[in-house]
Amino acid sequence: MSTSLAIDTSTSRTSIALVKAGKVIFQAHHDGALSHGEALPKLIADALAVQSEIDEVIVGMGPGPFTGLRVGISFAESFAFARGIKCVGICSLDAIATQFSDPDFIVAVDARRKEVFYARYTDGFRIGEPNVCQPSQLNVLQLPIYGEALSQFPDPTEFVAIAKSGRTYTSPIYVRRPDAYPAPEGVKFRAMTQLDLVPAFAIEKAAYGKDGWTMAQLKEEYLGKERMYVAGEFGGELIAYAGVFNLAGVADVLTLTVADGHRRKGIGRELLRRLIDWARTQKCEAIMLEVRVGNGEAIPLYEAFGFIEISQRKDYYGPGKTAIVMRKELK
Amino acid sequence: MKNSGALVLGIETSCDETAVGIVSGRKLLANIISSSVDEHARFGGVVPEIASRAHLEAMQSVISRALAEAKISIKDIDAFAVTAGPGLIGALLVGTSSAAGLALALNKPLYGVNHLSAHIAVDSLNSDHKLDPAIALLVSGGHSSILQVNDLTSDVKTLGSTIDDAAGEAFDKIARILELGFPGGPAIDKDAKSGNPAAIDFPRGLTLARDLIDHKYDFSFSGLKTAVSRYLAKSPDHIRADVSASFQEAVVDVLLTKAIGAAKDSGIETLIIAGGVAANSRLRSLAKERTEKAGINLRIPPMDLCTDNGAMVAAIGSLAVAKGLAPSKVGFEANSSSGITTPIF
Ligand SMILES: [Zn+2]
Repeated sequence: MSTSLAIDTSTSRTSIALVKAGKVIFQAHHDGALSHGEALPKLIADALAVQSEIDEVIVGMGPGPFTGLRVGISFAESFAFARGIKCVGICSLDAIATQFSDPDFIVAVDARRKEVFYARYTDGFRIGEPNVCQPSQLNVLQLPIYGEALSQFPDPTEFVAIAKSGRTYTSPIYVRRPDAYPAPEGVKFRAMTQLDLVPAFAIEKAAYGKDGWTMAQLKEEYLGKERMYVAGEFGGELIAYAGVFNLAGVADVLTLTVADGHRRKGIGRELLRRLIDWARTQKCEAIMLEVRVGNGEAIPLYEAFGFIEISQRKDYYGPGKTAIVMRKELK
Repeated sequence: MKNSGALVLGIETSCDETAVGIVSGRKLLANIISSSVDEHARFGGVVPEIASRAHLEAMQSVISRALAEAKISIKDIDAFAVTAGPGLIGALLVGTSSAAGLALALNKPLYGVNHLSAHIAVDSLNSDHKLDPAIALLVSGGHSSILQVNDLTSDVKTLGSTIDDAAGEAFDKIARILELGFPGGPAIDKDAKSGNPAAIDFPRGLTLARDLIDHKYDFSFSGLKTAVSRYLAKSPDHIRADVSASFQEAVVDVLLTKAIGAAKDSGIETLIIAGGVAANSRLRSLAKERTEKAGINLRIPPMDLCTDNGAMVAAIGSLAVAKGLAPSKVGFEANSSSGITTPIF
């Protein structure tokens, strides 16, 4: 019989549970916003004394105050790795929501700096991805608000069911960018022009080879309607470009390419942020993109922005080259 | 060299390096480092939140790579060690939580260790020499101390330390003034190579007779920053490499004068220089010269083991195992400002 270990450190409460074949066989928590690091190993040691055999770890990926949140995720990933079992991440707000049955309500937890992380639930389902705002902005909705302010915490005994629903996460749900993160230094972002097409094609070819767009395709895509292209320039030279297309209220990322030698500097992140901002101004309900299976640089970035895999397209980039389709809700 | 000791995996996340090292007794098997230093460069210093995010992102892959390099499985590990302080609290917690997850999953002992002790313990790797007693000069971005190491895992006394900036911090600040970028240590070291170290006579802090009464083994580097700024302001035609070289000479000179003095005064014949600044080429060459003259036995870890790494954490963990010390309590508290007097938590 399968046993799941559930861990959550996304609020001031550190809580864990052991669920064996649908039954809770151990449950414990410790309250203290600054003591997740000490509390979690002790709680786990107690749980392992009840049952040491574990088949999977399910961890709350937040959103929540970052330092505590990372304690749970870091522990869970390492524990699962050492045991050779899988580690599944879920949205911690979902594990508060399951405790309530109103047709329409909000779950909100402390986000520090006088803000809250929140999500809205209608007919038992979360609408879109968690977001951050001031508490007063939620009050105007005149919906019931549940969460940490009323001592309502994620219930780890619900994690198994939530993980089964498929709304899972592989990295922390940060929602907010680190306070300090500015635009990449020395890189200028501006609208892409026709003059950029030639250097863009050179970058495209270097990045994707035969699988990339041809010059003609690049130009055609660029000139199409309902789209926005942004260029990144360094020392007067084009080093990155990205484009997005509004197709009947759903934005589609057409391309997002950073030249070799300029990757891992936050340029892709900045481009993507701009595409998402544009999609929001177009009142798109969601933004989608395709990414090649195994693209270890891009996928974590998309996930960090709240993109979720919704399907796969076989042979999208040519024979045997599967694309993952990802979607981020904007409403 | 004892090759057959315990297999210990050490995790280091106190600042901007996510690092994992694996040792077998005193033999180094793997040392993997993922640094977020590039992400901090544009701020001229380490940004805690960015460092913590990067630690969590890198942790699992760094552990896997270290195991692959050592050609062992995680299940082979006999004991775990992790930096529990000093350091950035949010960064430390990613490491201690990860280490706790590994140790509890496999029911193996976990040692929370002091980062500063680990810097010195790295000297034990790949050799059988006697470790203590020794005088240690520990110089890094966060610390500058002279220590009397009677027993590395249990008895370390602080003889002196900086009363303001750490040596590495002084390098970062001066590099910023000279527009040499971050981190400042390697940048100034490189720039100084073509400069004249005797060109400018920058002050040596706390070396006057009246300072020595209360601060015999203490350092002060904040006055240097003022002296360099003042010099640059009044000498618009200065040669930058001369400024770098002269500044570096002032730091290195005072570090070595006091450290060698401590060795002579205490009658301890071994001087260990450890920490990130021990990678400085001028410090290494001048230390060799002066210890030879003083008849002191000098030990400096290889360059790549001076800056923060996981091997040093595994090294002190392994020494603790070899001595039969009890592991740290489950749920021990990471301490961002822990002193070197607690080598093992
Ligand atoms: Zn260090």
